[in-house]
Amino acid sequence: MFKKSIVLVSVLVTGFSFSQDKIWDTFDGTRALSNHSTEMLFKKSLEFRVSHKFGDITGDNGGLQNFYGFDNLADVRIAFEYGITDNINIGLGRSKGVNERTGVVDMFGKIRLMQQEEKGKPLNITYVSSLAFSYKKASKDSTSSNYYQTATERLIFTNQLIVSRKFTDRLSLQLNAGYHHRNLVTFNDVNGLVFTGGVIRYRFTKTLGLITEYNHVWNRSKDTKQKNPLAFGFELLTGGHNFTIVVSNHQGVNENVFLSNTTSDWLKGQWRIGFTINRRFKL
Amino acid sequence: MKKTIISFVLLLTLIVTLLSTDNMTKNRFSLLQKTNDLKELSVLDVLLELGEKKPNHYLMKANQDSVRMGSEMVYFGQLKDKSNSRISKFFVCTDCHNQVIEVSDLSNETANERLIYGTKNDLPFLPASTFYGMYNKSQWYNGDYASKYGDLVKPTRDTLKNAIQLCAVECSQGRVLKDWELNAITHYYKSIEYKVKDLNLNQSELNQLRTDVASHNTRSVTLLRSKFNAINAATFGELDPIEPVNYSADIKVGEYIFENGCLHCHGMGKDITNFEFDNDKLTLSFLKAKLKKHSSYSVPYIVRKGTYAMSGRRQYMPQYPLEKMSNTQLFDLINYIKSKSK
Repeated sequence: MFKKSIVLVSVLVTGFSFSQDKIWDTFDGTRALSNHSTEMLFKKSLEFRVSHKFGDITGDNGGLQNFYGFDNLADVRIAFEYGITDNINIGLGRSKGVNERTGVVDMFGKIRLMQQEEKGKPLNITYVSSLAFSYKKASKDSTSSNYYQTATERLIFTNQLIVSRKFTDRLSLQLNAGYHHRNLVTFNDVNGLVFTGGVIRYRFTKTLGLITEYNHVWNRSKDTKQKNPLAFGFELLTGGHNFTIVVSNHQGVNENVFLSNTTSDWLKGQWRIGFTINRRFKL
Repeated sequence: MKKTIISFVLLLTLIVTLLSTDNMTKNRFSLLQKTNDLKELSVLDVLLELGEKKPNHYLMKANQDSVRMGSEMVYFGQLKDKSNSRISKFFVCTDCHNQVIEVSDLSNETANERLIYGTKNDLPFLPASTFYGMYNKSQWYNGDYASKYGDLVKPTRDTLKNAIQLCAVECSQGRVLKDWELNAITHYYKSIEYKVKDLNLNQSELNQLRTDVASHNTRSVTLLRSKFNAINAATFGELDPIEPVNYSADIKVGEYIFENGCLHCHGMGKDITNFEFDNDKLTLSFLKAKLKKHSSYSVPYIVRKGTYAMSGRRQYMPQYPLEKMSNTQLFDLINYIKSKSK
């Protein structure tokens, strides 16, 4: 039996060595800021997330009269995410939504295809497929993007491949490319949008970091007022909690909303403060 | 008629007595036969042969199927076929307990001896006692554990199964073990009980033991008992310890404790705790900054007091008693953190 114990210990030690070889914490959370990161929840971990965006800080809808946006709610999302395995996660959320896309229920599946290693695999690669469904009453205005005639017209899909690398303990970079599709759009818009994005994370300390996130849509219709979402954020880590303060031009907090529903312009003071707080539980 | 019955009963009693004596002789004989391989004998079996009393968790023989199930629950928190639920969603036993010998001399299980043997054999440096030889102890949750768990330790003091149950429910913040699970874990303990060879007896002591077992001489009880600790002492240290007199920092020791102790649970990707880290500069600078505050987040405080379960955060870290990490070793750990964060 002693031999058996030795074998068991060896198996554990080997497992330990493997896990040591992997690179962890490229980002602290499953989201960089608003978009997904390559990070995953562990198996049987449940994460509760609340994301909130206030109104414009300055501009016509901001200023002191609206207490720099704090009197207004741009969007709020409450979601649960769960680790089926260490490499497969799912999530379900509900957000207020923005513009004509309101009352949005979203869900996603996320799979890790590669994890960066100290000596070996150079990158983290994750694939995320998400969809959103707007359940609010359809508009009677046929020129509106929520003039839904069927349930499927309410659907929005986003599929993206995300690649990241932790270069040093302080610096992580992420690139993403994907396709965003709305089943119903206005006559001057296009259904399918191709986008790429990037994230830079720089950690000042173990618990404080700065993150910049940008997504660029390449085939946006020139007849719309849509803008590319750009956000800056501070992350504060407390162990079990991740608190992120964001300043962004986009109002939406879900990729199915902010990629095609960002109409705010940084240059017009149409940027706002938001925050995300999460809490992880072991089931 | 009466006389016939009495004679019959007496005859029957005589036969039973003779048979029993014969069995005892056979048992003794079988153990004596094994004395050619004395070192492989279980210490408890030898002590029983020498007239010692059976402990209440005594098992005649480890059932191999139970041993397998017990070891699976110890290493993985549940059976590998998942036919039982996890004992704890936070911990498995091996997070806090080694499963192998931790010292070269079982009668000297000091923190320093654990460090020397652990460094040599690259063992995890853990806050709780190894399961190897737990079966041979006579008392559990000793010393200052009473101040932590209160009356909960009373039933564990003399009963191994109660100690296992307390560990499952309180230490690992898990569920109450079922009887068959307790039995399986006890069988696993039996499989890693002390053998005579673990006691490092010299040739003369072995000869004495061989003679005493053959002649049923209780003299060797004292010899065997002197070779291992029947009780693992537990003394909780000060939360703000004073640097030992003539202390000289050993950074290598600090590094070993950080990597084989702290990172055993807090290492990245372990998913044991919410606070994961590596031995990178950011982490060590963070830990160094906390040192100055002498708060519940500082390394000495956490090492000596652990962290406590609270609402919404049931898992917690057990503290290192002085017998598991001495103050000198704690200062080596602190100095390692300081040296690497410069």
